[in-house]
Amino acid sequence: MAKQTFTTGQVLTAAQMTSLQQTAMLGGAASAKTASYTLVAADAGTAISMSNASATTITVNTALFAAGDTVQITNLGAGVCTITAGTATVNTSASLALAQYESGTLDFTSTSAAIFIKGAGASAASGGMTLINTGGTTLTGSSVSISSIPATYKNLQLVIQNYRPATDTARVAMRINGDSTANRNAQLFTFTNDNAPFDDTNVNLTGDTDNGASNALIIVNLYDYANTTTWKIGDGFAATNNPTTPTNITYRSYKTFYNQTGAISSLTIYSTSGNFTSGTAYLYGVS
Amino acid sequence: MSKPQIKEYNCETGEEIIRDASAAEIAQMALDKAEADAKKAEADAKVTAKNALLSKLGITAEEAVLLLS
Repeated sequence: MAKQTFTTGQVLTAAQMTSLQQTAMLGGAASAKTASYTLVAADAGTAISMSNASATTITVNTALFAAGDTVQITNLGAGVCTITAGTATVNTSASLALAQYESGTLDFTSTSAAIFIKGAGASAASGGMTLINTGGTTLTGSSVSISSIPATYKNLQLVIQNYRPATDTARVAMRINGDSTANRNAQLFTFTNDNAPFDDTNVNLTGDTDNGASNALIIVNLYDYANTTTWKIGDGFAATNNPTTPTNITYRSYKTFYNQTGAISSLTIYSTSGNFTSGTAYLYGVS
Repeated sequence: MSKPQIKEYNCETGEEIIRDASAAEIAQMALDKAEADAKKAEADAKVTAKNALLSKLGITAEEAVLLLS
């Protein structure tokens, strides 16, 4: 039940006692939300669940809560739910973003500040894959950018199905964080290399591809993408329709490296020549 | 002539927009195409040189692999 001030001589109802018992035993039903929500004073001491396939926010403002108040928030939806500091200050040692089945508690230290204590995700989410760009993103035009990638997963996996370029022999390339600076990327096709230079501006995801067939499948893994202290590594392989004999494949298998330490928050997929005719990109967060 | 189109998907908001490429992005596309063309030309030149050498030696690619194994 929501926090309230009891008065001397007040008679509690059975429903109030049951609710108090549930709260004391960390049980009771959560207040279900299906869209972005701004906390109100009555949320103090309660649990809130969010369920939405797209990204949502829980906004925290000042002058609503007192020191010691708590609000538990659980995300049931596929879309990431992010705790957002409105007029209040929200600090955390982890992330303010809750992936599906993750939960955390806002612990208010004053009327204007709270600490967000993030708990472990439910076992169902552990080791699982969550589609981040809901429904996938159709490849159109000459470039498709997937941005504001949440930093809440261990790894990323990009899957592109049925890619077909408008221009024969075009390829798909990928850029990390929109970074086109020279000598930031390296792409290797051998198992080991003791002295490889960073000599690229991008990651080539495919070889030459036919513009008349679209049976392509492209998979790229990016590991520990959210850390902010190391270079980034990934690998991938792709089978696209060969431009000379479309029933044959053009095959690529590679390791890729990016010599920047910032977290990966956006991926740009682009055609090396002309537009995309078809294709859908699915970006998964791997827990 | 119409400008190249750029699609942007924001994972946080779920918003998807399609817009014209900016002048800087069009310039980058030209650089990317030139770079891709240069890499392709380099790879093609290697294949041509390799085939010419195999022809000069009078052996097939499979026989060359066998020779070096």
